Amino acid sequence: MIRGTVLGQVWAARRSRGLDGRKLVLVAARDADGAATGGVVVAVDTLDARTGEDVTVAFGSGARNVLRPGAENRDLLCDAAVAAIVEGAG
Amino acid sequence: MFLGRVAGTVWSTVKWPETRGLKLLLVRPYRLGDLAPGVVRAGAEASEATDDLVVCADTLDAGPGDDVLVAFGHAARVAVSEKLPPGTKPNVPIDAAVVAVVDRVEIDPEARG
Repeated sequence: MIRGTVLGQVWAARRSRGLDGRKLVLVAARDADGAATGGVVVAVDTLDARTGEDVTVAFGSGARNVLRPGAENRDLLCDAAVAAIVEGAG
Repeated sequence: MFLGRVAGTVWSTVKWPETRGLKLLLVRPYRLGDLAPGVVRAGAEASEATDDLVVCADTLDAGPGDDVLVAFGHAARVAVSEKLPPGTKPNVPIDAAVVAVVDRVEIDPEARG
Protein backbone atom coordinates (compact mmCIF):
# COMPACT_ATOMS: atom_id res chain seq x y z
CA MET A 1 0.00 0.00 0.00
CA ILE A 2 0.99 3.60 -0.25
CA ARG A 3 -0.02 6.70 1.62
CA GLY A 4 -1.00 9.77 -0.33
CA THR A 5 -3.23 12.81 -0.64
CA VAL A 6 -6.36 12.97 -2.77
CA LEU A 7 -5.75 15.59 -5.46
CA GLY A 8 -9.12 15.34 -7.16
CA GLN A 9 -11.36 13.21 -9.31
CA VAL A 10 -10.98 11.69 -12.77
CA TRP A 11 -13.91 11.75 -15.20
CA ALA A 12 -14.13 9.36 -18.12
CA ALA A 13 -17.26 8.44 -20.08
CA ARG A 14 -15.54 5.89 -22.32
CA ARG A 15 -14.38 3.21 -19.90
CA SER A 16 -14.17 -0.56 -19.53
CA ARG A 17 -17.40 -2.19 -18.34
CA GLY A 18 -15.69 -3.28 -15.15
CA LEU A 19 -15.22 0.36 -14.15
CA ASP A 20 -18.86 1.36 -14.67
CA GLY A 21 -20.21 3.34 -11.74
CA ARG A 22 -16.84 3.53 -9.98
CA LYS A 23 -15.59 6.81 -8.56
CA LEU A 24 -11.95 7.36 -9.50
CA VAL A 25 -9.64 9.59 -7.50
CA LEU A 26 -6.19 10.92 -8.25
CA VAL A 27 -3.77 10.35 -5.34
CA ALA A 28 -0.35 11.97 -4.96
CA ALA A 29 2.03 9.59 -3.17
CA ARG A 30 3.94 10.72 -0.09
CA ASP A 31 7.21 9.38 1.30
CA ALA A 32 8.11 8.55 4.91
CA ASP A 33 8.66 12.22 5.72
CA GLY A 34 5.29 13.19 4.30
CA ALA A 35 6.78 14.89 1.22
CA ALA A 36 5.29 14.34 -2.22
CA THR A 37 7.31 11.76 -4.18
CA GLY A 38 6.10 13.03 -7.54
CA GLY A 39 4.26 9.78 -8.25
CA VAL A 40 0.54 9.86 -8.91
CA VAL A 41 -1.87 6.91 -8.93
CA VAL A 42 -5.56 6.61 -9.76
CA ALA A 43 -7.62 4.53 -7.34
CA VAL A 44 -11.20 3.32 -7.11
CA ASP A 45 -12.84 5.10 -4.17
CA THR A 46 -15.64 3.47 -2.19
CA LEU A 47 -14.98 5.41 1.04
CA ASP A 48 -16.04 8.79 -0.33
CA ALA A 49 -12.58 10.31 0.16
CA ARG A 50 -12.54 14.06 -0.31
CA THR A 51 -10.02 16.25 -2.05
CA GLY A 52 -7.16 17.12 0.29
CA GLU A 53 -7.67 14.09 2.56
CA ASP A 54 -4.83 11.67 3.26
CA VAL A 55 -5.61 8.09 2.30
CA THR A 56 -3.98 4.70 1.93
CA VAL A 57 -4.21 2.98 -1.45
CA ALA A 58 -4.08 -0.81 -1.73
CA PHE A 59 -2.94 -2.53 -4.92
CA GLY A 60 -3.53 -5.87 -6.61
CA SER A 61 -5.69 -8.45 -4.85
CA GLY A 62 -5.70 -6.21 -1.78
CA ALA A 63 -7.52 -3.61 -3.87
CA ARG A 64 -10.11 -6.16 -5.01
CA ASN A 65 -10.68 -7.11 -1.36
CA VAL A 66 -11.69 -3.51 -0.66
CA LEU A 67 -14.50 -3.81 -3.22
CA ARG A 68 -15.57 -7.37 -2.42
CA PRO A 69 -13.69 -9.37 0.24
CA GLY A 70 -13.10 -13.05 -0.43
CA ALA A 71 -11.61 -15.44 -2.93
CA GLU A 72 -14.36 -15.01 -5.54
CA ASN A 73 -13.46 -11.51 -6.63
CA ARG A 74 -11.16 -12.13 -9.58
CA ASP A 75 -13.86 -10.94 -11.97
CA LEU A 76 -13.46 -7.37 -10.64
CA LEU A 77 -11.58 -4.81 -12.67
CA CYS A 78 -9.59 -3.06 -9.97
CA ASP A 79 -5.85 -2.82 -9.33
CA ALA A 80 -5.87 0.12 -6.90
CA ALA A 81 -8.44 1.16 -4.30
CA VAL A 82 -8.66 3.61 -1.42
CA ALA A 83 -8.35 1.35 1.63
CA ALA A 84 -8.47 3.90 4.47
CA ILE A 85 -8.84 7.59 5.23
CA VAL A 86 -5.75 8.55 7.25
CA GLU A 87 -6.20 10.65 10.37
CA GLY A 88 -2.62 10.73 11.50
CA ALA A 89 0.84 9.33 10.83
CA GLY A 90 4.11 9.73 12.64
CA MET B 1 -3.99 2.49 -12.19
CA PHE B 2 -2.15 5.48 -13.56
CA LEU B 3 -2.97 8.45 -15.72
CA GLY B 4 -0.96 8.96 -18.89
CA ARG B 5 -0.95 10.32 -22.39
CA VAL B 6 -0.82 8.06 -25.43
CA ALA B 7 2.51 8.72 -27.16
CA GLY B 8 2.32 6.20 -29.98
CA THR B 9 1.50 2.70 -31.07
CA VAL B 10 3.40 -0.59 -31.25
CA TRP B 11 2.75 -3.34 -33.73
CA SER B 12 4.12 -6.82 -34.18
CA THR B 13 3.46 -9.89 -36.26
CA VAL B 14 5.15 -12.59 -34.21
CA LYS B 15 3.17 -12.81 -30.97
CA TRP B 16 1.13 -14.99 -28.67
CA PRO B 17 -1.98 -16.13 -30.63
CA GLU B 18 -4.40 -14.86 -27.95
CA THR B 19 -3.12 -11.32 -28.44
CA ARG B 20 -3.91 -11.24 -32.15
CA GLY B 21 -6.15 -8.31 -33.01
CA LEU B 22 -5.17 -6.48 -29.83
CA LYS B 23 -3.88 -2.97 -30.38
CA LEU B 24 -0.83 -1.94 -28.35
CA LEU B 25 -0.20 1.65 -27.30
CA LEU B 26 2.77 3.46 -25.83
CA VAL B 27 1.67 5.54 -22.83
CA ARG B 28 3.73 8.12 -20.95
CA PRO B 29 2.66 8.34 -17.28
CA TYR B 30 1.97 11.77 -15.82
CA ARG B 31 3.99 12.88 -12.82
CA LEU B 32 2.69 15.18 -10.12
CA GLY B 33 4.52 18.16 -11.63
CA ASP B 34 2.69 17.70 -14.94
CA LEU B 35 -0.74 17.66 -13.34
CA ALA B 36 -0.48 20.21 -10.57
CA PRO B 37 2.58 22.39 -11.10
CA GLY B 38 1.74 24.62 -8.14
CA VAL B 39 1.30 21.75 -5.71
CA VAL B 40 4.89 20.55 -5.59
CA ARG B 41 7.30 22.67 -3.60
CA ALA B 42 9.63 24.77 -5.72
CA GLY B 43 12.72 22.81 -6.62
CA ALA B 44 11.26 19.50 -5.48
CA GLU B 45 11.29 17.65 -8.81
CA ALA B 46 8.54 20.01 -9.89
CA SER B 47 8.53 19.31 -13.59
CA GLU B 48 10.48 16.08 -13.66
CA ALA B 49 9.43 14.64 -16.99
CA THR B 50 9.51 10.89 -17.23
CA ASP B 51 10.59 9.11 -20.37
CA ASP B 52 9.48 5.72 -19.13
CA LEU B 53 6.87 4.48 -21.56
CA VAL B 54 4.45 1.70 -20.75
CA VAL B 55 3.14 -0.62 -23.47
CA CYS B 56 -0.59 -1.18 -22.94
CA ALA B 57 -3.27 -3.24 -24.64
CA ASP B 58 -6.10 -1.05 -25.89
CA THR B 59 -9.73 -2.13 -26.14
CA LEU B 60 -11.26 1.38 -26.15
CA ASP B 61 -9.81 2.62 -29.42
CA ALA B 62 -7.65 5.32 -27.85
CA GLY B 63 -5.13 7.11 -30.03
CA PRO B 64 -2.04 9.30 -29.80
CA GLY B 65 -2.71 12.47 -27.79
CA ASP B 66 -5.53 10.93 -25.71
CA ASP B 67 -5.30 10.97 -21.92
CA VAL B 68 -6.00 7.47 -20.62
CA LEU B 69 -6.20 5.41 -17.46
CA VAL B 70 -4.05 2.28 -17.47
CA ALA B 71 -4.61 -0.70 -15.17
CA PHE B 72 -1.92 -3.22 -14.32
CA GLY B 73 -1.87 -6.93 -13.56
CA HIS B 74 -5.01 -9.02 -13.30
CA ALA B 75 -7.23 -5.95 -13.76
CA ALA B 76 -5.65 -5.44 -17.19
CA ARG B 77 -6.49 -9.02 -18.20
CA VAL B 78 -10.07 -8.55 -16.93
CA ALA B 79 -10.38 -5.46 -19.16
CA VAL B 80 -9.05 -7.35 -22.19
CA SER B 81 -11.35 -10.32 -21.50
CA GLU B 82 -14.38 -8.02 -21.85
CA LYS B 83 -13.72 -8.28 -25.57
CA LEU B 84 -13.53 -12.10 -25.49
CA PRO B 85 -16.53 -14.49 -25.62
CA PRO B 86 -18.37 -14.69 -22.25
CA GLY B 87 -16.85 -17.18 -19.85
CA THR B 88 -13.44 -17.04 -21.49
CA LYS B 89 -10.67 -16.80 -18.94
CA PRO B 90 -8.30 -13.90 -19.46
CA ASN B 91 -5.24 -16.06 -20.09
CA VAL B 92 -3.47 -13.50 -22.22
CA PRO B 93 0.14 -12.41 -21.75
CA ILE B 94 -0.86 -8.83 -20.98
CA ASP B 95 -0.13 -6.92 -17.78
CA ALA B 96 -1.21 -3.38 -18.70
CA ALA B 97 -4.36 -2.18 -20.45
CA VAL B 98 -6.20 1.05 -21.18
CA VAL B 99 -9.37 0.95 -19.05
CA ALA B 100 -10.70 4.48 -19.65
CA VAL B 101 -10.29 7.43 -21.98
CA VAL B 102 -10.15 10.46 -19.69
CA ASP B 103 -12.43 13.44 -20.36
CA ARG B 104 -11.47 15.64 -17.44
CA VAL B 105 -9.26 15.65 -14.35
CA GLU B 106 -10.46 17.83 -11.51
CA ILE B 107 -7.60 18.95 -9.29
CA ASP B 108 -8.10 21.19 -6.29
CA PRO B 109 -5.20 23.66 -6.19
CA GLU B 110 -5.58 23.75 -2.41
CA ALA B 111 -4.86 20.02 -2.07
CA ARG B 112 -1.38 19.57 -0.71
CA GLY B 113 0.75 17.25 -2.80
